[in-house]
Amino acid sequence: MWAIIKKEVKTYFLSPIGYVFIGIFLLAFSISFNLELGYSNGIIDFQNVFVYIFTYLPTILVFAFLIPMITMRAFSEERKNGTEQLLLTSPVSITKIVLAKFISAFVMVIIAVLFTLIYMGIICYFGTPDIPAALVTLLGFALLCMAYTAFGIFASSLTENQIIAAMISIVTFVITWVLPEFIASGSDFSLINMFYKFTTGQIDIAYTITYLAFTVLCLILTITVMQRRKSAR
Amino acid sequence: MIEVKNVTKKYGSFTAVENISFDVKDGEIVGLLGPNGAGKSTTMNMITGFIEASEGNIIVNGYDISKKPGKAKKQIGYMPEGVPSYQELTTKEFVKYMAELKSVDKKTRKEEIENVIKQTGLEEVENKLIKNLSRGYKQRVSMAGALVGNPDVLILDEPTVGLDPKQILEIRNLIKELGKKHTIILSSHILSEVSQICERVVIINKGKIVAIDTPENLETKTQNKNVIYVTVEDKNEKMLSIKDKIKNMQEMEYVKDNEDGTKQYKIVSNGDIDLRKTLFDILPKEDITIFELKKAEVSLEDAFMKLIDDRQEKNINKKEKQKIEKNKNNKHNEQEKIGNKKEQDPNSSDENAEEKEKTKQEEGGKE
Repeated sequence: MWAIIKKEVKTYFLSPIGYVFIGIFLLAFSISFNLELGYSNGIIDFQNVFVYIFTYLPTILVFAFLIPMITMRAFSEERKNGTEQLLLTSPVSITKIVLAKFISAFVMVIIAVLFTLIYMGIICYFGTPDIPAALVTLLGFALLCMAYTAFGIFASSLTENQIIAAMISIVTFVITWVLPEFIASGSDFSLINMFYKFTTGQIDIAYTITYLAFTVLCLILTITVMQRRKSAR
Repeated sequence: MIEVKNVTKKYGSFTAVENISFDVKDGEIVGLLGPNGAGKSTTMNMITGFIEASEGNIIVNGYDISKKPGKAKKQIGYMPEGVPSYQELTTKEFVKYMAELKSVDKKTRKEEIENVIKQTGLEEVENKLIKNLSRGYKQRVSMAGALVGNPDVLILDEPTVGLDPKQILEIRNLIKELGKKHTIILSSHILSEVSQICERVVIINKGKIVAIDTPENLETKTQNKNVIYVTVEDKNEKMLSIKDKIKNMQEMEYVKDNEDGTKQYKIVSNGDIDLRKTLFDILPKEDITIFELKKAEVSLEDAFMKLIDDRQEKNINKKEKQKIEKNKNNKHNEQEKIGNKKEQDPNSSDENAEEKEKTKQEEGGKE
């Protein structure tokens, strides 16, 4: 399993995808950071500025389009190039293969999220931010990304076309994002709405479990798809 | 050892492989032969555990591929058709990745990777990206991926496709060399290659096994024992007339004119009778000079075509017989029905005749 993770992460950086992914995310984060400072009319709320940036639309929206960029190739590319034959005939079990693919994509997301600590450093230099609240926000964001990454991996196992895999992820993300606007009970299904709770500085156990359960569900679905394809291939 | 027992693979109503059984002994090289779409790759994919058989068992070195896939797969080195590999990796990185996937011991891993690279002749390109390699090298990289970890069983799907003659020879020699220590199954379109490398051949057609035997036996079995080719100088054009003078000759057929003025004929005798001696005796008496006299040789190609054609003919005959029987049954049933009707209602035919007459009259009235 470790071999696959190592190779996957390495491959992200051997192609432009890894750099583009981190670069665009940091660009969007910087724009949000700049906007936040601009709105404050000179009186900067150093205590909460880091948390606010995460609630900005560009940060979230960019991630909605960026995570599929990382996950879309996980299984689709292997299937298209025929390398899945090498992978699936190796002694590594399907469960481990799926986990390895998920972990390597999530490692990329975590690397990007860790880069935001630079901004935290800048804020710390000029003021005293609410560090616990900032860390809880980061945790919530990581959980949101984890759930979304797992769904992206699942989408990638469904098709050999990377673009279709990415579209499935983006459309699902956008639907769960705008659902509360149309249906009142939609907020219960909105992964983003759950994240907003974390920006208040509280670790919501129920939502944490929901994120974890959603992740596990997506991974189990991926394993099932891979197993089923073995007999239908 | 590989045991394939009553294996069937179905896709909905389509049966890709139907109830095939064969085994490959330790250290044996077996070739899978068959036309495109015969089920060779499907069979190989089932042995490697890439796809699951609908029915039957596949046992690799004592491990059932569906019950203990991890252990069974560890015994196998697989080189898939079309040699897929990770284009963005270098040769060495790819072989290393395959070694790690197969959990090759860390202590011996480095040494083993170097050995495999040397064995497959990849030293020159070990630090080159796979995407920049020629087809021949890509083939070797894929072979190296299969070899690393020293698996007991090697499964090679079309290992020499797309190679130049020199590379083909090198790969064939490598396979022969590997056959001394490994159990190998390979598939190929090139029949001469199979007859050179393999100890046994499994011929598959339309998902069914047509024959399993050594290449030599297959050639002998399908050989036409009673066909002779004779090249003669026949100035007086007497050749065709000697047919009546030789007792057991069934057929004589002119084949071709040669540049040196000689002619070739094909002679078929009755049963297994060898007419060579008789021809040597009789032809000179008729003033015909023999330049060459040989029995028809059957290559593996001929054997393969014959086996496949025989099978198709049998199938066609079977279907035709079924059709004829069906038609007979239908006719029989119809006759029975008519007979029954007549028995039930003897006047019905008269009534029918009356009705027909009525309609005729009505039609006439209209006109």
